[in-house]
Amino acid sequence: MNERLRGILWGVVTYGLPPAITFAVVIGLWEAYVAWRDVSILVVPAPSDVWERFFDDPGYFWEQGWWTLYEATLGLIAGSAVAITLAVIMAHSRTVERGLLPLAIAMKVTPLVAIGPVLIVIFGFGTTPKIFLAALLCFFPMLVNALTGFRDVDSGALEFMRSLRASPWSIFWKLRAPSSLPYVLSALRITYPLALVGAVIAEWFTGNRGLGFVVYSAAQNLRTPELFSAIAVLALIGVAINIALSLLERRLLFWHESVRSTR
Amino acid sequence: MANEIQHVQLRGLSHVFTDGREPLHVLDDVSIDVPHGQFTSIIGPSGCGKSTLLRIVCGLLEPSAGTVLIDGAGPHDAQRRHDIGIIFQEPALLPWRTVAGNVRLPLEIGGARQRGTDAEALLDLVGLSEFRDYYPYQLSGGMRQRVAIARALAVDPTLLLMDEPFGALDEITRAAMRYELLRIWASQAKAGARKTVLFVTHSITEAIVMSDRIIVINGRPGRVVADAAVELPRPRTQEIERSAPFLDYADHLHGLLVGAAV
Ligand SMILES: Nc1ncnc2c1ncn2[C@@H]1O[C@H](COP(=O)(O)OP(=O)(O)OP(=O)(O)O)[C@@H](O)[C@H]1O
Ligand SMILES: [Mg+2]
Repeated sequence: MNERLRGILWGVVTYGLPPAITFAVVIGLWEAYVAWRDVSILVVPAPSDVWERFFDDPGYFWEQGWWTLYEATLGLIAGSAVAITLAVIMAHSRTVERGLLPLAIAMKVTPLVAIGPVLIVIFGFGTTPKIFLAALLCFFPMLVNALTGFRDVDSGALEFMRSLRASPWSIFWKLRAPSSLPYVLSALRITYPLALVGAVIAEWFTGNRGLGFVVYSAAQNLRTPELFSAIAVLALIGVAINIALSLLERRLLFWHESVRSTR
Repeated sequence: MANEIQHVQLRGLSHVFTDGREPLHVLDDVSIDVPHGQFTSIIGPSGCGKSTLLRIVCGLLEPSAGTVLIDGAGPHDAQRRHDIGIIFQEPALLPWRTVAGNVRLPLEIGGARQRGTDAEALLDLVGLSEFRDYYPYQLSGGMRQRVAIARALAVDPTLLLMDEPFGALDEITRAAMRYELLRIWASQAKAGARKTVLFVTHSITEAIVMSDRIIVINGRPGRVVADAAVELPRPRTQEIERSAPFLDYADHLHGLLVGAAV
């Protein structure tokens, strides 16, 4: 047990210390630069000003962050559900794939954030436009990764199952779905942050709450420390999501090269 | 006995792959009859179409010409009856399942006939009981191939198809696995009826040690160039590899393989 505690402490030091130092240096340089050039607080606030504003009312920022995270997560779930369902169908039918993939690619190359203003017209000011935009941004990377994952199965295992006349259903659940897990999880690392971007931008245009709204209204009123506090919370949410996904990967993909090679 | 039904009956099998830039003629007019319980090795140089032949026999590939009958019916019937067990060069295990989970996989695939050997007994047979809860990445190459053997036996098939099952193993493990497989094969005999085996190999020693019969395929496209019985007593042990009849067979086969290649 003592051994284990030492191991955990050692892990915290080796994994936590280098980024902590980098972070401290960047913050320090920023603070020093603002003081040295006497930069106006309206342009770039010093980290200490941001700190002060944040701790003035931390509950406010956490609450707004919570809204953004909530909308992004619902959007992620909706977008991934549609993408994975389509990927399952496409993995079993080249015809469907040929029919749908061009549309998906057209969606992918369109800068979807530009439809933000239109969202008000379509969905009004509620939660729906945020979820919609988040889902839209998540859709393509998840579709492509899941499709690749469903197809990237061990050919020997596939032939073994076919030699026993396994049904496509059984091949899907016992072989394709687990094989796609590494792809789906690595897609999440891309799509979760994208969902956050989608939610923030939708809040920007149609919101009365959430970090996107805070950023927008703070910028309008030149409350830069408030704006930077909101961005810091957004960054923290992003880091937390990344850590959570890493832990999930370690748990679910213990058998996969990607996890074993980092042990 | 002339009209006794053959276990595997191949008639005029030819195959041409047409998905490449030009059609590739791989097998030409291959006809083989394999009676029940025979251990038959198929030997031949790389690229002559041995794997293609096995994939045709078990119905994974439709031949361009010719017919395959297993117990008098097409290979898909045999698939449906869970009558075929395949073992490849790579173990092709599911990495997210334990050893026991991998061996149980075929039993979870609904077949027309639900029958099977107890997974625990199979693990015992291949000497992996203690490793039942290990994952494939925690095993050596030889152990993984034992899992693949147990998995193939799980549905108690009457026909075993093996495509260079020891090809990826080191020479020492490989030499031991031969006799191990012979032991497993003998133990699986039911009321004196052994499972039929089609065994693809590159190794002359392996072919002689294991088989009742050796079929040599050679050329491009591959044809059957020799078909010889191996009349060495069973059970066979490592000593056989130094016996005079063994060396005669080896010489003969060597001549056939080299001679045919010229
Ligand atoms: N799916 C495929 N599509 C096109 N060509 C193929 C396919 N599978 C095999 N071939 C070709 O057929 C020929 C015979 O292949 P096969 O795998 O049957 O040989 P083999 O005798 O098993 O060789 P080895 O001993 O190296 O395993 C090769 O030239 C190979 O390139
Ligand atoms: Mg081969």
